[in-house]
Amino acid sequence: MRRRTTVSALGMAAAMVLSACSAMDPGAGGTVTINMVESLTNPARTALLKKSIAEFEQQNPKIKVNLVSPPTEQADQKIQQMLQSGSGVDALEVRDITVGPWSNNGWLYDMKKDLKGWHGWHTMTDNAVKASQDAKGRTYFVPYGFYGLSLFYRTDLIKKAGFSKPPGTWAGLLKQASAIHDPKARRYGYAFRGGDQANSNAAAVIEAYVADEVNPSNGFKLKNGRTIFSAPEALDGLETYLKLFKKASPKSSASWGYPEMVEGFSNGSTAFLLQDPEVIATVSESKAIDKKQWDTAPLMAGPSGKSVQPLATAGWGVAKGSKHKAEAVKLVKFLSQGKASTTFTKKNSLVPILKSAVDDPYYKTGPWSSYVTMTKHPDKYLNVSQPRGVTWWTEWEQKADADVQKMLLGKVTPRKLLADWDAYWTKKWQREK
Amino acid sequence: MPAASATTEPTAERTSRKRGAPPARGAAPGRRRQFTTRRGLLIAAFMAPAAVFVAVFTYYPMLAGSQMAFRNWKMTDLTDTSWVGLKNFRDIVTDPTWGTVLGNTAVWVLGSIVPQLVIGFALALWLRRRFRFRGVYQALVFFPWAISGFLIGILFRWLFNSEFGVVNDLLQKAGLIDEPVAWLADPHKAMAAVTIANIWYGVTFFAIMLLAALQSIPDELYEAAALDGAGKVRTLFQVTIPYIRVTLVLTVLLRVIWIFNFPDLIFGMTGGGPNNQTHIVTTWMIKITQQGDYGRASALGLIVVAMLLVFALFVLLATREKRGTKA
Repeated sequence: MRRRTTVSALGMAAAMVLSACSAMDPGAGGTVTINMVESLTNPARTALLKKSIAEFEQQNPKIKVNLVSPPTEQADQKIQQMLQSGSGVDALEVRDITVGPWSNNGWLYDMKKDLKGWHGWHTMTDNAVKASQDAKGRTYFVPYGFYGLSLFYRTDLIKKAGFSKPPGTWAGLLKQASAIHDPKARRYGYAFRGGDQANSNAAAVIEAYVADEVNPSNGFKLKNGRTIFSAPEALDGLETYLKLFKKASPKSSASWGYPEMVEGFSNGSTAFLLQDPEVIATVSESKAIDKKQWDTAPLMAGPSGKSVQPLATAGWGVAKGSKHKAEAVKLVKFLSQGKASTTFTKKNSLVPILKSAVDDPYYKTGPWSSYVTMTKHPDKYLNVSQPRGVTWWTEWEQKADADVQKMLLGKVTPRKLLADWDAYWTKKWQREK
Repeated sequence: MPAASATTEPTAERTSRKRGAPPARGAAPGRRRQFTTRRGLLIAAFMAPAAVFVAVFTYYPMLAGSQMAFRNWKMTDLTDTSWVGLKNFRDIVTDPTWGTVLGNTAVWVLGSIVPQLVIGFALALWLRRRFRFRGVYQALVFFPWAISGFLIGILFRWLFNSEFGVVNDLLQKAGLIDEPVAWLADPHKAMAAVTIANIWYGVTFFAIMLLAALQSIPDELYEAAALDGAGKVRTLFQVTIPYIRVTLVLTVLLRVIWIFNFPDLIFGMTGGGPNNQTHIVTTWMIKITQQGDYGRASALGLIVVAMLLVFALFVLLATREKRGTKA
């Protein structure tokens, strides 16, 4: 017994020493170990990433990738701390909302030179190529996909209310949702977002109303240089949006965030929902509504018949403090093309970055088709860059969320709110100069 | 640290323990260990690792964090972290949310602690009696205390959901309300909802602490009270409560600090909304940290520390007085 204990203790000690050595010595036998940190972690996605990484390692036997997966809620703060310490990160997940502050602090590596002449650029959609460059043309990350909005709607409920097709405009949505809304029967028109991230849908409606005037390189700016919130059309948009809350949404949706909105649609009580494609998977699993009862339609337009897709994105980048930049860039390239990219976007319900997706039957049919429709008609569904990379974006989101709630609770009028937002952005841009 | 005590025990005591006798606590002064320089150094050496650990992992980060309160420390732009004096503190106290936050904190602490104490005490009295399956009941009552506050917050977020939540459903079925109440979307009701959730969560703690205290009351006291003809109410106020008074006061005071410092539940339930109306100081601090403004968040953190220090001083004075009166 004693001998067995000694042997197992020795074995364990040896194993610990070996594992410590392998972690500490990346250069052994010419093999380089790079650390990659993800941000929007979830177990299924991590497994998928690991699979792609295994393929990468097979193709590059001298590179080992150590994937670090902090829990989503704290991931960006963890990455921030790692980047600040200056070591420990080689490749990492960069989001459109983190790229601004991180690059500003000098933590991200500009891959522009490394990716010059890379054939991967030719296989990517215009949106993807555009999103990979910041205002000064630097490439801090290569997007892996997009989160875009489309309208989830109940085919049976709109038919019952006397409508033959889903609404194409915000005014049309207000009309249809109000007709369906009947709180006493526990049937609601629209799954309003009044809680966390309320700012995003409010911005979507305003941008749709000013679509003709919007600056393609900055979704919050008009072509005349002023903010979109200063345009008279913005007021029409926001007033329509407020009516949508008052006439067609559950009262408590003033505090609804993502879980309540998706639950509202999935449990069959709410007719319309504006959400990202990742919700397709959740709604498909619903037991309350079957596949014949729902579909998706392109994002609603403003009075001009155009809408602005407020695309959100994230991608893979390289840390400036990395000692293995070449290997890390190689990994970024690998993840951004071919099978690795296609599988990643499909399994994570993302709008793809590769042009080839348009011909993929997976995206041509069912709820995905509205996204392809939007990609095919850039004249109607405008590709406009959102200013999500500015350093004050998180501050803005929190301020705007609280402001939208104030408006819903009747503490501020749409006009005053817009004046405040106009002043906020004008001041920020002036300071930036 | 068993090794330490074994080495430092005098031989006589060790021998007596070997024979199976209990350790000689409170022995005659002549047998007390002598405090020599050597012993002092030895104690210091044993304490050193813990002291170093606390210094490195608690005090250093605290001090390093505190200096951010006086600097322009925004994670979004670390190129300029200049000293700004008391600006961050000024920003906090002049923020329109500050007043709401202070008021909410008071409501949150007082509104939670009083019902928690009353219900927890009642539960402890009930669980003190012997009945069948008492152990099972005790385990069931204490179970919520083992669950994370954030998770409780998320559970209550769904319970209080106006359209799909159980609370409104039950109230409607009982005929108490006609239309669903928008618990979490109405600022006043939202504060009530988070406080109700906290009462439910914290009752257990009082039940645990007070049950332990109640079990220390000798049965003879109750027998004597019964012989003297004291009724239930009189026994409660003249035997039970005076006997556990110190525990009662200490538990309440400690709990005040904990509830003050307990943002988890509110964060899971409302995130401080709607319109910042359910923020208490600590949830607001998290919100500011999330905005990346570590300077302002640190300033608020120091304000919280100052408030709690004053309260802790009060706790120390109060308990010293209590001990004095008892003696």
